Amino acid sequence: MPSEQDLSADVVIVGSGVAGSSIANELARAGISVIVLEAGPRVDRQHFVENFRNLENKPSYQGPFPSVPWAIHPPNQMTPNDYLHTTGPDAEAYQQVYLRMMGGTTWHWAGCAWRYLPSDFELKTRYGQGRDWAVKYEDLEPFYYQAEVMMGVCGPDPAVEDLGSPRRQPYPMEALPISYAAQQFRKLVSEKTPYRVVHEPQARNTRPYDNRPTCEGHNNCMPICPIGAMYNGSYSVYHAEAAGAHFVPNAVVYKIERDSANKRVTAVHYYDPDKGSHRVTGKYFVIAAHCIETAKLLLVSADEQSPDGIANSSGHVGRNMMDHTGVQVTFISGDKALWPGRGPLETNVIDNFRDGTWRNERGAYLVHMVDDNQVDLATSLAISKGYVGRELEEQIRYLASHTVRLFSHNEGLADPDNRLTLSQTHKDVLGIPHPEVYYKLPEYTVKSCEHTRGLFRELIGLMHGTDEQWTPGYFPQDHPAGSTIMGTDPRDSVVDGFCRTHDHENLFIASSAVFSSVGTGNITLTVAALALRVADTLKKELAHA
Amino acid sequence: MPDLARKILCSVLTAGTALVTLSMAPARADEPSAELLARGEYVATAGDCIACHTRPGGKPFAGGLSMTTPMGNVISTNITPDPDHGIGKYTEQEFEQSVRHGIRRDGSRLYPAMPYVSYSGMTDEDVKALYAWLMHDVKPVAETPPATELNFPANLRITMAVWNLVAGSTTPETGDSATFDKLRRGRYLAHALEHCGTCHTPRNMMLTEKEGSYLAGASLLGWYAPDITPSKTGGIGNWTEDNLVAYLRTGHVNGLSQAAGPMGEVVEHSTSHLTDADLHALAAYILQVPAMDDDVDHTPREQFGQVLNTPDIRTGELTRIDRLDEMDGQHVYDANCAACHGDNGAGTDDHYAPSLFHNGVVGSARPDNLIMTVLHGVDRTAGNEHAFMPGFDQKSDVQRLSNAEIASVVNYVMTTFGSGNHNVTAEQVGTMRSGEATKVP
Amino acid sequence: MAADRSCFPTNIHLASPNAMRMRRALRMSRRDMLLGAMGAAVVALGASRPGFAATEEADPVVPLFLAVSQRLTDRDVLDPQISHALYAGIIHANPERREQIHKLHDLMASGSFASARALASAAEHSDPVFKDVIHEIMTGWYRGVADQKVVVYRSALMFDITKDAVYPKTYAAGGPFYWTQTPPEVAVPTGEPALSPSKFVVEPT
Repeated sequence: MPSEQDLSADVVIVGSGVAGSSIANELARAGISVIVLEAGPRVDRQHFVENFRNLENKPSYQGPFPSVPWAIHPPNQMTPNDYLHTTGPDAEAYQQVYLRMMGGTTWHWAGCAWRYLPSDFELKTRYGQGRDWAVKYEDLEPFYYQAEVMMGVCGPDPAVEDLGSPRRQPYPMEALPISYAAQQFRKLVSEKTPYRVVHEPQARNTRPYDNRPTCEGHNNCMPICPIGAMYNGSYSVYHAEAAGAHFVPNAVVYKIERDSANKRVTAVHYYDPDKGSHRVTGKYFVIAAHCIETAKLLLVSADEQSPDGIANSSGHVGRNMMDHTGVQVTFISGDKALWPGRGPLETNVIDNFRDGTWRNERGAYLVHMVDDNQVDLATSLAISKGYVGRELEEQIRYLASHTVRLFSHNEGLADPDNRLTLSQTHKDVLGIPHPEVYYKLPEYTVKSCEHTRGLFRELIGLMHGTDEQWTPGYFPQDHPAGSTIMGTDPRDSVVDGFCRTHDHENLFIASSAVFSSVGTGNITLTVAALALRVADTLKKELAHA
Repeated sequence: MPDLARKILCSVLTAGTALVTLSMAPARADEPSAELLARGEYVATAGDCIACHTRPGGKPFAGGLSMTTPMGNVISTNITPDPDHGIGKYTEQEFEQSVRHGIRRDGSRLYPAMPYVSYSGMTDEDVKALYAWLMHDVKPVAETPPATELNFPANLRITMAVWNLVAGSTTPETGDSATFDKLRRGRYLAHALEHCGTCHTPRNMMLTEKEGSYLAGASLLGWYAPDITPSKTGGIGNWTEDNLVAYLRTGHVNGLSQAAGPMGEVVEHSTSHLTDADLHALAAYILQVPAMDDDVDHTPREQFGQVLNTPDIRTGELTRIDRLDEMDGQHVYDANCAACHGDNGAGTDDHYAPSLFHNGVVGSARPDNLIMTVLHGVDRTAGNEHAFMPGFDQKSDVQRLSNAEIASVVNYVMTTFGSGNHNVTAEQVGTMRSGEATKVP
Repeated sequence: MAADRSCFPTNIHLASPNAMRMRRALRMSRRDMLLGAMGAAVVALGASRPGFAATEEADPVVPLFLAVSQRLTDRDVLDPQISHALYAGIIHANPERREQIHKLHDLMASGSFASARALASAAEHSDPVFKDVIHEIMTGWYRGVADQKVVVYRSALMFDITKDAVYPKTYAAGGPFYWTQTPPEVAVPTGEPALSPSKFVVEPT
């Protein structure tokens, strides 16, 4: 039953994840009126914890989050998929997962909080590959720090371990002490290779911070931290609400309305779960709906004035789909018991290959030794081998204590042919098309992965590893980027260095969709930094208005 | 004003002018010695001035903390040496009048939220040292907190004169308090400085401490300050002196209890900084005051409960993300508490998260402190340890529980690990959510 | 964030991901249904387990299942509540298991099997179907799973075996920074399997 209800605010934000909520929080604290429209529902932690414990397939990170029908997110990473339909020679490598609900996808991330390197922003200039951003590292530096304070990031003292991203302030919290397993790995790498293992910067409390507890090592960062020691977007939602921002859950935006000159955005329209339509007006609009849904929304809003979608005079909306892919191997270490799975999931990294002159030929990467509890997997394996009773128990102990898993983030590259479009055959219950992505891995990334395999073979040898199992093919790492790419030239980019769309001066995008390269670090801290910069821009413009 | 009151007022005012034992001139000429300043700082710590005279996020001693009393909210004053906003113009004598007699420089009376009845026991030397330290070492802050406005008739400060007569006062101790023998020192600390009785002694209708019930336990509108006499059934009679010293120094003793709320602040700001000798003196004194049995705690609070060993049989079903149905007590516990306190209630191996059995809070017959802890959490720093438990109230970033859920989980915890089911209701929790001695920024 | 693709395919690691999935699909039909249903309206909390009702009226196989389980885990004492719940799940998934468990118990009672290995080996030799039955019993007790559902999580024996080193996810009881300490050493196991090996099936995520 359609109904019209006018909501209005100075700034209207689509999406309540880390990007949208951090902007809402900044603006509300500055006294600016804000409405945030979130497609999914309000949620809470305790039900996710119970869902996780009841979940049979625990490695399924989407598992504890069965979506609502009016805002479906991909149910799993399987191709073919019930929602995100991927095609192309490397379709499986783009089978992203994300969450459509209040607080967004950071409900189930690992908390890795890397700053990009200065060279990540200048890939084209320095290495002749990919594209340059329209913003430099130094411009973003203060916002990186602001994001680190907002999330509560712990990291190593640069005087002790310099991660290559210059910083003016120390990390808000001291680095997380790594587990015994990680210490042994670090020692081995330091003594037997020319590489190093560094403390990964993490959005995780190494002391009580922001009224949330210290990490206790539940090893469940993905899919759900049971105690709130790790940052997720819901905290920014709460803070923004306390500061006066108005959040509307179950509001699926389906149309971006512009004025008759097709210059300024005048409103967005959303459906409630009963398909009642509502119009929301404002002075500024920010789409912060995750790389996939942001591009989808711009395309879905196509009309006679903008037949190719909103803000798409360049034709690049939905193009340049990037991600990290990676190499993964699991093996049994032949040396002392390591017992991975004690402490948080991702804490230590080999970072020697994040940058270098070879980047003119192959992509950069970083390597994690994952601290993941292997007990369940070891049990399944040992049962399949035919063990029972006492022998089974010995096998479980041995396998769980000696299994090592390495994986890498290898950088993708902006290729306009890697493209998101609207499905012609699948629609959701509101009649909105599902997203489709065509993906072919850049050669740059394939070569990078080959190099990583070499490194992994070296490490397996050093650890006297046996029973290696390499994950076949290429897999997604849920760091999608580039779908509304940033650039100085409106003919081949969607937004400028401030994340303002070239086509509409009052429309901004706060998402990894704007990334011009994907670097090697996990994307969330950069997403947050860019979002905080959008907030800064909006505050300045609204103050002058 | 009533005739009797006027007569009393006149006699008190007359008596007041005769109190000229200290210098009238502002003590500015001489630079105080380092020993005096150190002593003053220690006295301030033992007296825990900072706890009330600083608001959360505020500058030290600049006031602004709002304390809920049955008469309304009392807001603490700025006692930094700022001349216009604080006590910068106070002479030493005027300062003594405030601290030991509850009379301000302008002659008006302080509300006994300022525990001058207790501080009246301070020695002259300690008052002098405290004055010197506040005036010399504390940074002046040019902020005046809001004025206290209580409900009638308490808004008439003059009525405090009458109250003071009922409350009585303590004769100041004499001599050098640092040289007192152990029990005398412990008594001095307990009465004149730490003012334990202010919270732990029940009050009568006039809201003065009840005679003969010293430390027998009292409600603080939300939190409950338990019986800490050496009663073996209702108090802490089974604690050793070392137990109590450890509790006061660190805020927790595994298998006994842990401090949160106002007592957590006492540990953080005051007792964790006392010398070892002083802690033993204070503990020894407390453990020999007259034992007072409790009305409802008849078994020592820390003796209840044991580890729970039951299998976690589950449904294996998942709920859709928008289904936020209230859970029953056992499920609320499993989903929120078990991660730190253990499905078995044993806490963490290092007792960072305490066990819930053999826990004085869970074993009390009064659910007050457990409800308050679930609502507000724990945030207590002592020495190098920062103990933290998130709260689960409507401001929580971790999980916001409803009144019914908190009631259910409190009942579950007390039944499973404590003194039994006290049938806490959602309404009770609702009252406590709003009614505690809150800090208002 | 990495897709969790820990794989130990015993002889299929050279196959394409899709081929792997198709082979799994034959085994995973119920699993796929459940995954597909996740986007739609979901089951209510606390739904009663159908298996239980069937066993409420003193099913004589219930204690036999417990006895067989004790032998097959080489443990003298197992929790009867967990036993009942696992049994209910196993026969709900496959009603024929009830008879098979009965027969397995008969086999056990007929001989004197001094170890889990001895019983399991003899069982598979006597009837290949017992291999599947024993797999389900192992999966039930050690992984806490029956009928492709979690029956117990932290009470699964796999966590009991490893509790001196790691905690079940979300139940870490070590306090902050426990993970920096040195965990126990584990000797290389020397025991032999009892049953013939099977393909190691990793569920897709």
